[in-house]
Amino acid sequence: MTTVETANVGVSKQKTLTSKAWRRRNLTKDKVSFFLVFLILPVACYLTFVVSPFLQAAYYSLTNWSGFSPEMKFIALDNYQKLFNDAIFLTSLKNSVIFAAILPIVTMALALVFASLITVGGPSHGNIKGLRYSSFYRVVSFFPYVIPAIVIGLIWAQVYDPSAGLFNGFLSGIGLDRFANFAWLGNVATARPAVMFVVVWGLVGFYMVLFIAAIKGVPGEIFEAARIDGAGRFRTIVSITLPLIRENVQTSMIYMGIVALDLYVYMAALEPGGGPANSTLVISQQLFTTAFTRGQFGYACAMGVLLAAITLVYAGLVFGINRLTGGRNEVGE
Amino acid sequence: MSFTDKPLHRRAFLRGGLAAAAIIPASSFLASCAGAASDTSGGDSAPQGEVSDTNPFGMVAGSSVEAIIFKGGYGIEYAEFAGKQAESKQAESTFSVQPATNIAQTLQPRFVGGNPPDVIDNSGAGLISINTIRDQLADCTDVIDAKNYEGVVIRDTLYPGVTDPGTFDGKFVQLNYVLTVYALWYSAALFEKEGWEVPKTYDELMDLGKKAKAKDKYLFGWGKEAATYYQTMAIASAIKQGGDEMRLALENLKPDAWSMPAMQAVFEGLAKIVKAGYIKPGGAGTQFTAAQAQWSNAEDFLMYPSGGWIENEMKDQTKDDFQMTGAPEPTVDSSSAMPWEAMHSTAGEGYIIPSQGKNVAGGKEFMRAMLSKEAAVNFAKTNFASTIVKDTVPADGFGSTALVSQVTLLEAAGENVFSWQFVDLYGTNTDMLVVWNTFLQGGSDVAKLTKDLQAITDRVANDDAIKKVEIK
Repeated sequence: MTTVETANVGVSKQKTLTSKAWRRRNLTKDKVSFFLVFLILPVACYLTFVVSPFLQAAYYSLTNWSGFSPEMKFIALDNYQKLFNDAIFLTSLKNSVIFAAILPIVTMALALVFASLITVGGPSHGNIKGLRYSSFYRVVSFFPYVIPAIVIGLIWAQVYDPSAGLFNGFLSGIGLDRFANFAWLGNVATARPAVMFVVVWGLVGFYMVLFIAAIKGVPGEIFEAARIDGAGRFRTIVSITLPLIRENVQTSMIYMGIVALDLYVYMAALEPGGGPANSTLVISQQLFTTAFTRGQFGYACAMGVLLAAITLVYAGLVFGINRLTGGRNEVGE
Repeated sequence: MSFTDKPLHRRAFLRGGLAAAAIIPASSFLASCAGAASDTSGGDSAPQGEVSDTNPFGMVAGSSVEAIIFKGGYGIEYAEFAGKQAESKQAESTFSVQPATNIAQTLQPRFVGGNPPDVIDNSGAGLISINTIRDQLADCTDVIDAKNYEGVVIRDTLYPGVTDPGTFDGKFVQLNYVLTVYALWYSAALFEKEGWEVPKTYDELMDLGKKAKAKDKYLFGWGKEAATYYQTMAIASAIKQGGDEMRLALENLKPDAWSMPAMQAVFEGLAKIVKAGYIKPGGAGTQFTAAQAQWSNAEDFLMYPSGGWIENEMKDQTKDDFQMTGAPEPTVDSSSAMPWEAMHSTAGEGYIIPSQGKNVAGGKEFMRAMLSKEAAVNFAKTNFASTIVKDTVPADGFGSTALVSQVTLLEAAGENVFSWQFVDLYGTNTDMLVVWNTFLQGGSDVAKLTKDLQAITDRVANDDAIKKVEIK
């Protein structure tokens, strides 16, 4: 309990100090204009264009607004109640959670391995450096990220085409005849992995480049020391690289998680109808259909609010796990 | 427990704030709904021009009309044609014809804001569900009661029953412009060469499937976005077999609609075809136009159920001398309630006039121009499809076998023309696609198909938030 008291005392002492400091400060014209341009203006923009639409959407989620007339009736939490009894929405929720659970981890693991190979995974003698031709590999793996997601989706939809696609053509070419006419995007067992492969393919290069930059910021001597101590490449990744760049991994995990919870663009190209037995239907798709096809904007807003809540919970989880596994608490630093 | 005794640093606070700011907008879907202050004026109080035979709706002289036309398979040239025609009939008026591909997304803010366009072609995959906006639409009965540019009352120039799909609770709010005949399409050239007969029942379809297999072809094929074309065929077959009782059960979302004997017999017939392997596999992963090209270009499979738009849609991907021809959907057996020749036909491309539009009379004038003989012939000629205006297709169908066969099929059907609306009306197609993709690839049996479809219609029937239209 003593700690609590000290903390309280500390905080109040700090408070009096800061308020005194405030009074003492002269609000010169310089300072005021600085505040105006760098604080008031951005905050005002943020409130108008980011926060207020959220509040508006949150309010709509409590109404029965159709979206095509100015009339709406307040129905409190009915929409949310309906959400949890809507079998198709629950399927989409389940799918989104599965994507958010798998995609970031797979992408980060691959990106980390690639980044290590390109920066420190090279020959085991001489200077610490990457594989031969590593700059070429770097460009190659970053390349898909330059292509817009919708184009990636359309390209892969063609590659997966059962009768004319490259993939089945390749498989039958090497003698696997049972894959002729096999619908990778049309079978419950394969649709989800097939879609996830495309997303990873499209984004792994970007996170790889992020990690390369982070690893380059780590002094080479650390890797040399590890090598002298007999650490292999895998051990180096797990025990040296990962702890040293964990802040970058955390941020990337959050961004990738947000992508995985959305996925609208990829799905619009690959599985516009929600996939076989709705196995790849994601919340954003269901939200769009509900709003624009069915004309139930209030209900769709409720889905949006829930999706935002899930995103925040996901970010909280990533922060929490990073802290539990020994990452420094960034905010309290 | 140990509270941190360090105060919150300014920098740390900023960092936390930045992280939160980065996360929140990421769920951008949340912010994409936006409303507007209500403004319900307009429409009725709009100024009126003088009503005469040449200006039956009292369009104000020199006023302008805004038309938003869905730009899909039919393009918008036909609408521009009608717009020009109207401009020449109404002195100094301007008819602006603009294309749009996603009608609901494009026009949603304008409906909310109370300033919708004067006339809209509400069509395509992104159309506004008519059930959502029908309260805000003008009654168009006076359009078809007016005289067209040739001086004939428009109602007398139309095919029978074409206003039914646009009439809700006795109010005619949607003018469906294009006549669509649903049929089972095939290559007359190929059938003639092989000496095959057009199948009239599901048993005959099985026989044809066997013959196709012998030639290394399939009977049917499908694409993932169009799996429900087989549902359309199945419903048509069931209605022919079971008559009006079957149709009304579906239309009014009855709890046993999908398990009625006529429907079950059709499902069984289809299941046999699926089980025999007469459907080209892989459809659930094939884009639908690619699947259709496997039929019209590669001739991998023989027959395809679709609407009359199929010829225009596949114009560039059809084999030379394919002779695309339609046949009525098969019945279960010869004891059917309607003859085999009965046709599922309805009108599509729904034109609507919002009652809040600035120039409602002008919107109606635009419709009147479209229904003139000249505009209707122009449409048929450029799009190889008939409008709801009669006698616009010459005997040679402008060289299109599919267009000729649509007209012939309708003539043979006589009074036995039927249609239904529940799928479009309640927007259930997306859910049904999933069920049909599974069934067509052999992933479910008749019992599961029935159960899943029933669940979809039951959900609509039991949802009080959805307005129902009773169909008699």
